[in-house]
Amino acid sequence: MISQPLQLCRPILAFSSTLAASLLLTGCGGDDSSAAPIVIEGPSVTTSEGAFATSQSTARFLTQATFGPVPSQISGLTGTSASSWFAQQLAMEPTLVEPEFEAYIALSEEAAQESDELSFAAPSFVFWKHAIEAPDQLRLRMAFALSQILVVSDAGGEILSDVPESMVGYQDILRNHAFGNYRDLLEAITYNPAMGEWLTYMGNQKADETGRVPDENYARELLQLFTVGIVELQPNGEPRLQNGQPVELYNNQDVTGLARVFTGLDIAGLDRSVFPSLVDAVGEVDDLGENFLRPMTFNDALHSEREKTFLNCSIPAGTRTLDSITQALDCIMAHPNVGPFVSRQLIQRFTTSAPSPAYVERVAAAFDAGRFLLPDGRQVGTGRKGDLPPTLAAILFDAEAQVDAALNNAQFGKIREPVLRFTNWARAFDVDASKPEYALELTDTSNPSALSQHPHRARSVFNFYRPGYTAPGTQSGALGMTVPELQIVNATSTTGYINFMTFWTFGGLDMLDPGEIEEELSELNIPFDRAEVARAWRPDYTAEIAVADNAAALLDRLDRNLLYGTLSSEARAAIERAVNQIPLDDEDDEDARALRASLAVFLIMTSPDYLVQR
Amino acid sequence: MTHSPSVSRRNAIRMLGAGAVAGTALSGAPGVFTSHAADTFDYRALVCVFLFGGMDSHDVLIPFQQAEYDGWRSIRRSFVARQGASRDRGALLPLARVSRPPEEPPQHALAPELASIKALYDAGDAAVIANVGPLVEPVTRQAFEAGVARVPPRLFSHNDQQNIWQAGAPEGAQFGWGGLFADAVLAAGGNSFRPQFTTITTEEVGPFLTGRTASPYRIGIDGAAQVNILEEFADQTDPAFVSAVRDQLAGRSFMGENVIERDIAAKFGSGLDSNDFYGQALASGMPSFGGFGAGPLSAQLRAVANTIAVRGRLSASRQVFFVGLGGFDTHSAQAVDLPNLLRELDSATAAFHSAMASLGLSRQVTLFTASDFGRTLAVNGDGTDHGWGSHHFAIGGAVRGGEIYGEVPPSIIGHDQEVGGGRLIPSLAVDQYAAQLGRWFGLAPSEIGTALPNLGRFTSPDWQFI
Repeated sequence: MISQPLQLCRPILAFSSTLAASLLLTGCGGDDSSAAPIVIEGPSVTTSEGAFATSQSTARFLTQATFGPVPSQISGLTGTSASSWFAQQLAMEPTLVEPEFEAYIALSEEAAQESDELSFAAPSFVFWKHAIEAPDQLRLRMAFALSQILVVSDAGGEILSDVPESMVGYQDILRNHAFGNYRDLLEAITYNPAMGEWLTYMGNQKADETGRVPDENYARELLQLFTVGIVELQPNGEPRLQNGQPVELYNNQDVTGLARVFTGLDIAGLDRSVFPSLVDAVGEVDDLGENFLRPMTFNDALHSEREKTFLNCSIPAGTRTLDSITQALDCIMAHPNVGPFVSRQLIQRFTTSAPSPAYVERVAAAFDAGRFLLPDGRQVGTGRKGDLPPTLAAILFDAEAQVDAALNNAQFGKIREPVLRFTNWARAFDVDASKPEYALELTDTSNPSALSQHPHRARSVFNFYRPGYTAPGTQSGALGMTVPELQIVNATSTTGYINFMTFWTFGGLDMLDPGEIEEELSELNIPFDRAEVARAWRPDYTAEIAVADNAAALLDRLDRNLLYGTLSSEARAAIERAVNQIPLDDEDDEDARALRASLAVFLIMTSPDYLVQR
Repeated sequence: MTHSPSVSRRNAIRMLGAGAVAGTALSGAPGVFTSHAADTFDYRALVCVFLFGGMDSHDVLIPFQQAEYDGWRSIRRSFVARQGASRDRGALLPLARVSRPPEEPPQHALAPELASIKALYDAGDAAVIANVGPLVEPVTRQAFEAGVARVPPRLFSHNDQQNIWQAGAPEGAQFGWGGLFADAVLAAGGNSFRPQFTTITTEEVGPFLTGRTASPYRIGIDGAAQVNILEEFADQTDPAFVSAVRDQLAGRSFMGENVIERDIAAKFGSGLDSNDFYGQALASGMPSFGGFGAGPLSAQLRAVANTIAVRGRLSASRQVFFVGLGGFDTHSAQAVDLPNLLRELDSATAAFHSAMASLGLSRQVTLFTASDFGRTLAVNGDGTDHGWGSHHFAIGGAVRGGEIYGEVPPSIIGHDQEVGGGRLIPSLAVDQYAAQLGRWFGLAPSEIGTALPNLGRFTSPDWQFI
């Protein structure tokens, strides 16, 4: 592998709209991108718009669209054009995982002893670093959202964790296509070896005389989870009813028919006569990792020649592998369910858990038309069904999601995903995340005693939570609201989150003895620099400490930066009371001031006001 | 491997109210447990072991007569070979049946990974219930193929069939039969002192444990989850400060209108309260059980055993537990993966049974398995695909063990009890399976009918496994 220098991608701090484009483009460089061209046409009106009209609305919009607002960004963008910001984000080169991953491999190889930890955990390390520091925030948020619809996970502990390139390649596909087209994205993931391994169609073969039949796994989940769902939908995402009942779209014969399409694909460069099982190739085949970064290859001799019938589509007998896949994806993509099905789930990842049918319909219309007009009049999209930039724009700029409408709607909002709560903290307090390998707490946050969520590590293809989850025994459930994230809120995970955030908000790595950190890193053969260890993964509360003698001023600041001004008066009073119980012996009592700041951040980030993004 | 998040090294915290008396109070948690009429003599618990992904019972209960075994092996030859000697006929564990004459040769055998369950079966403490699955009404193959049969929606889909097993409806289902059984207990005044400990899970449970009153309490495998910062503060600071922090974490100050915020505030509050109480109950002392391995199901069942050991302190006389083991979706590598899972199922359930025996509760606690669905008899190379009916286990001293209940369809493709590829049409509805458990749990027929509204569509079998 080629060694590349580690790239440092600090968030862009203060920038004005005019400077933004040039600054942003000098941020973290990308690899060659296969992303579809993004077309933005029409007049660009650089006036203040609703989304960035006030610091409150700016902070809120950035909460929805990024991994968390950076305080200087809130002040820098307030009064500028949100459309311009959106367009600039679209234009940025993607920050990719692979170069950074290869730098980790090089680092591991240069170390005195090769570090398994560095390579196996590298996909996670790179995710955290980029989420917190990369400039192309909108793209990475979209990729993260897509990773929860088109789920591939390394939770299983086999190939997808033993060969870290698998998750590297998959993450980069999502990033490269995040501003592309959903149909192209489906094609890319279909040929991706990580998906092939995850949904078990890598090496899948046509039926034969031994009674062998094609594996149905990908066919089923491609329909059920990635494209059309299970029942017929109206354009607004609600089920179409017949005699009061939802209409199922397909049965197992359709799945069996579609399963024939996904036969004949296999990872490149693997001699199956030597390695019938991929597990045996791990550690034996040198370029196995490299081949996980490439599309799978095909073998027509192993591809089903039979007719493939599903979803009112029919692919004639004798059609070969590549043509079969192209026709199948085209046919599925043409189904009217795809727009509302995908749009509703994307809305849930960005703005609200239980969107109104009208909101879903508007977003699905942008998805279907491949076009959306930004508030300043510019058009996003190429006009092709499935274009993702107009879909995302329609989600973020919809009237229902705007600050005044949303804050007055008691059913609007979503539980902040645990991963996003953590990145929000890191970005709000200028945490140095450039060395994620120093923060071993972040190698796995999926346990309920941590975040109950870890990037690209859902327990199954059904993600961390289901889009249709309505929580029994709750007020939202009684109203029939879908609230996916409530599925991972329970007596263990609530305490787990409180404890996890205690560690970070009260100091992060500052909470640990530096000698202990260095000892652990040495044991794992992770190279480190003592000065960097002393700097990494700590919050910078300087500005908070400066006002910590005045609890009201401290909370004003945190309210603006973490809560876009929505801290309730009751929570404010309760937190002020707690903060004021920490005595300040004299005005220079820095430790007590720091403790006040930490406590206030901690209590805000564990409050219902914060836990739900409205 | 990872740092343990703890506030202990944060010197600054020590400054808090220096010299304050060691804190006593976590507000809301009673300092003394009130003794209560939870009658442990009459204690009963159901333990659902959910095998996530769809267990291939074709590879668990295997035909043992030579001709039938040969036919099974031929259909599965592409991966039986990879299973090595473990699927040789001589390695299987043949099951005699107490209802049959001893000289009658066994028709079926267990996979050899299930040696402990086989021993419990032989001892009369475990039974096999054949071909269970979701049904709306009895179904024939002809009716299914003609499209005139009423069948459960969304067959063969994981999440939906998990929900249907647990709650009789596809994803979005609200009330599961475990929760509705618990409702009946609560409505009768059972567990009234601490109702939240009626339904307990160690896993992300679907709707199974949710009733109109009951809702699941999630426990960790290492005891009650404790809030580190409160523990830390409690030793060093003014109790009033600790209370203020705890009240804020429990959402006590929250008065907002937003529905989702209200829900999450309630979850934080009830979670903290229950954890405090549960933690104190566990701390009061419990036996340490031997025999549990390190596997994920073992750890969960050990946590359940620990909880049952302190049932009196939780004031619980009837409890429904949920534990889960994932990985059964063996589309590929079944030859390697399934035997490992079965070993874990075997060792965990046997250790649990021993733990219950050591508490003198083996007749008062019944464990049973459930799963998304069975799988195809046909193979896709090195795995199997989604099916429908499957065979299950009930384990406990109250189980009428040593018997295979119901009908085991033949292990061939194309018979009348399958719908293609060896996907079995269930011959026993989940409702019927659940009803026998509910009757043993102490529910009246009307209460069972409330929990299992579809039960009336089926004729009761002429046997009861418990």
